[in-house]
Amino acid sequence: MTGALIDLSFAAFSLVAIVAGVRVFRTDSMVRAAFYLLASFAAAGGIIVLLGAEFLGMVLILMMAGEMLVMAIVMVMYMMNPAGLNPMVMVHQPRTAVVAGVVAFLAIAGVGLSGEVPSRPAPNPAAATADLGRELLGNSMLVFQTAGVTLLATMVGAIAVAAPRGRYGDAAEGSEEPGLQPDEEASA
Amino acid sequence: MSPLLDVIAAAAAVAGLLAVGALALAIGDGVAGAAVAGRPIRVLPLIAAPFARAALAARTGSTTTERPDGAGRAVAPALLAGLAALAMVLLPLAPGVALADPDTGFVVYSAAVAFVMIAVFLHGWSPNSTLPLHGAYRFGAVALSFQIPFLLAMLATALPAQSLSIVRIVEAQASLWNVVREPLGLPIYLVVGLAVGFWGPLNLPDGDDLAGGTSAEDAGLARWLWQVARLSMLVAVAALGAAAFLGGYFGPILPGPVWVAVKTGLLLAAMAAAQHLLARVRIERFVGVAWVLLVPLALLNVFVSGAFLL
Amino acid sequence: MTTEAVLVVGAALFGIGVFGALSQQSFVMLMMGIELMINGSLLVLVAMWARAASGSPDGQMLAIVFMTVMAVEMSLGFALITGVYRVRRADITEKLRKLKG
Repeated sequence: MTGALIDLSFAAFSLVAIVAGVRVFRTDSMVRAAFYLLASFAAAGGIIVLLGAEFLGMVLILMMAGEMLVMAIVMVMYMMNPAGLNPMVMVHQPRTAVVAGVVAFLAIAGVGLSGEVPSRPAPNPAAATADLGRELLGNSMLVFQTAGVTLLATMVGAIAVAAPRGRYGDAAEGSEEPGLQPDEEASA
Repeated sequence: MSPLLDVIAAAAAVAGLLAVGALALAIGDGVAGAAVAGRPIRVLPLIAAPFARAALAARTGSTTTERPDGAGRAVAPALLAGLAALAMVLLPLAPGVALADPDTGFVVYSAAVAFVMIAVFLHGWSPNSTLPLHGAYRFGAVALSFQIPFLLAMLATALPAQSLSIVRIVEAQASLWNVVREPLGLPIYLVVGLAVGFWGPLNLPDGDDLAGGTSAEDAGLARWLWQVARLSMLVAVAALGAAAFLGGYFGPILPGPVWVAVKTGLLLAAMAAAQHLLARVRIERFVGVAWVLLVPLALLNVFVSGAFLL
Repeated sequence: MTTEAVLVVGAALFGIGVFGALSQQSFVMLMMGIELMINGSLLVLVAMWARAASGSPDGQMLAIVFMTVMAVEMSLGFALITGVYRVRRADITEKLRKLKG
């Protein structure tokens, strides 16, 4: 791809990533929020592909598709609004959050822009995927295995925590609707 | 302006391939239905049937629901058709010839298949209506179950190629097709392919038992577009299956593109037959089979094809 | 596309994520905020790898570890949501005044 085309795609992806990212928390439906998050992630994956990490970007996009679907399903499973299409606002401490978000952005962007980054681009960008494969199953095999074992432990742990008949009793007990008053416990 | 023209030409080529394939599948489905039901196969009416359905759809008005997500309803068929096109772009048509050959073609195709579940969920969720939402949730369960067998079945075809590029995957089958090298791969892929296109026995999200499922609230052109997008996705799945398992353009005498068409047609015929020969599978049975049977079989397939290469 | 521009986009995603994680009541929305934060960091990481790693795959390895973290965060988060819901019928953070089961 030529430079202008890359710049154009980068601008488009950045715009989608940021606008969709903001919309995640500005929309009134949770399923919509999940779709916006997916759009933001897909755009970020596009930027990663543009940066030359083709495999990583595509895997990120692939992974997020499944994750978003699980998210949308979990949301409507436990939230008080089954189809996720009715408007709702569920926010606390919005001002503090905005300030914290802006401060985080300014701090990181400031560091990024003021710091001196050495310029050592890859000599052969096309080989990035093959290099990663050799590294994964060569020198970094231990990292790869550790990630695998971590995921296995996560699976076991997640199932143990969420299992229908565990230390927290029977699953059927949880099938009651949540109350519409959010602060029952607090007021008691 | 040359790159722009190239893009337009590629888009037209993909749209043409998908349209021809979808039409072939629609006609083949009619033929298979007539054959299985024992009705006489009259060629002209069967060929005319898809066009008649399109004409009827064009003349039927659209419907709306209470508080739908308008953007979602509009985007879902386009997304599904776009994913089919994305997969089709990767298809090698002749030695070294594909519209696009990224190093990570395998991952791009997998991402396209993973996004099918987003498209179907969006299509079922956006009308804000009960039956479509049921269909969407059904597909959620189906899609999360077929992801792993799909990835593993496709992954085994990347082993002999030592590459994730689809073109290289086909080139590696010059002496021996993957269907022989790893006999478990194609059956798993076909089962998953039926689920990806929610077709025949695995038409759970759009099944008649849900009055059309995710399409229950669609009428007219919107419904027709969704059907066309789904047929396109099936064509793309069959075409890439033919490339990954049946050796793509390799074959005696005939030129490469003809072999691609023949093998794709073979897989499409199998799908059309499955639609009329197999009963719809219950969702919990499919989910169970996918996790308990297909995942271990697909893993075994990877190990066997790996051992074959040692 | 300069490295600095990508860093700013990554920082913006991180900032949006901080805002979401702090402001949302619903557990799942809160997790979306955390996801956005990890995504922003991932973007910055890959930008740095592309600019300054001489093509060494170590940076990509670290990115894969990030993705593992993402997956772990999601699955354990969902499991905890399920567990908390079973015990407390809680779906928002305000309902959890004490953590003891």
